[in-house]
Amino acid sequence: MRTLNFAKRNFKELIRDPLGIVFTVVLPLFLLYIFQQFNIPNEAFVLTNFTPGIIVFSFAFITLFTATLVARDRTTSFLIRLGVSPMKPIDYILGYTLAIIPIVVVQNILFFILAIILGLKFSISIIFTILASLVIAILFVMMGLLIGSLLSEKGASGFSSVIVQFVCFTSGMYFSNEILGKTFRTICKLLPFESSLTILKGIMNNDLSTISIRNVIVFSLYVVIITLLAIITFKRKMVSDNKE
Amino acid sequence: MYAIETKDLTKKFKDKLAVDSIDLKIKEGELFALLGTNGAGKTTTIKMISTLILPTSGEIKVLGLDIKKDATKIKKIINVSPQETAVAANLTVKENLEFMASVYQIKNKKEKIEELIKQFKLDEVLNKKTKILSGGWQRKLSIALSLINEPKVLFLDEPTLGLDVIARRELWRVIEKLKGKITIILTTHYMEEAEKLSDRIGIMNFGKLVEVGTKEELIKKSKTDNFEDAFIKISGGEI
Repeated sequence: MRTLNFAKRNFKELIRDPLGIVFTVVLPLFLLYIFQQFNIPNEAFVLTNFTPGIIVFSFAFITLFTATLVARDRTTSFLIRLGVSPMKPIDYILGYTLAIIPIVVVQNILFFILAIILGLKFSISIIFTILASLVIAILFVMMGLLIGSLLSEKGASGFSSVIVQFVCFTSGMYFSNEILGKTFRTICKLLPFESSLTILKGIMNNDLSTISIRNVIVFSLYVVIITLLAIITFKRKMVSDNKE
Repeated sequence: MYAIETKDLTKKFKDKLAVDSIDLKIKEGELFALLGTNGAGKTTTIKMISTLILPTSGEIKVLGLDIKKDATKIKKIINVSPQETAVAANLTVKENLEFMASVYQIKNKKEKIEELIKQFKLDEVLNKKTKILSGGWQRKLSIALSLINEPKVLFLDEPTLGLDVIARRELWRVIEKLKGKITIILTTHYMEEAEKLSDRIGIMNFGKLVEVGTKEELIKKSKTDNFEDAFIKISGGEI
């Protein structure tokens, strides 16, 4: 019950931040619309590929706003108030994560409604993509929790902006990573963003053969490692922030 | 039984001795002010007593409950109003109260919230987001939030920091009304605040509790004319 109430509070904090709504919903919708007006002869911009790209791009902002919220809760002593209460560390971690689910669902629905208006054919793959994106979102929320646990509000916001750039340049949402040099291609393969997008695109296109074992392993490893790091760091910082 | 009792309470952060063998006894219903210069160890002491950090050694008992064994029970009977206002910025005053009531799983939630609204005269700002409120209102809300679980022991960490004189006096009236009903441990840098509100005062210096007594006792012991001079002398400063 405490977890759900904390999630409800976090949800309100996030959706009442106008910038949050602009970056997590309005900007991705705008990009989805505008890039379809140019008729760019590139597979990355086909709706079945670009809509999942927009989803992953919007998740980078979920990282940003989660990080900012966690950092703000630390620096304003809100977590001290809660630290004295009977809440347990698991309540915090689940509370931050669960708050994101309705936002992700609404984002996805809006992105797909626009994509359908722009010409995407409705199929069951859309539902599967939305469900898979909820799993992908965990990675981005945990990155936010980790960054917010480590940095100040300003620092968290700045560092999360780097994540946004990484998503743009390494996920393959705007161009195929195959056209890049060997070193950059290797970096893309080692980071989780290309794998996240490939998984979503594979599900959206109903072609799971495009998802490699590497994609699954890279994504899963990042989810597990980042989640563990986020939990350990958050718990440690809750204590160390409480030093004089 | 004391509201708070510490024996040989010590906290080390790596090589730094933040709190050094403190023995402290605070009676039930007492308002005890803990004073000290920056880095004297008062916030660390309060954080240990309020279950936020564990002591390196020594004992703490809150209303007879041991901090190491009974932290969960202690959390239900204490509360804190931290130095920063610690309110949810994008939530309204009412939503903040409702949220904290849910954290403590208050049974008569509605009645308790109504009581706090009345007690702190929060009606006029009830549906306003806390981030737009003045410092005074935010502090009042912060204290109201810390009373949501009807704590037996309340920690007020610099409750009037940064407030103008009118807001400070208003908050003093709020704190005075709580006196005697619950045990309050107050930290402050304002001498007149400690003088005005507290029953007894403890002065910390370099992690040690160097003196404890009433305002009059401390002035007498330090052979000074007023409390500010007494504090400076006890803290090792020059008058």
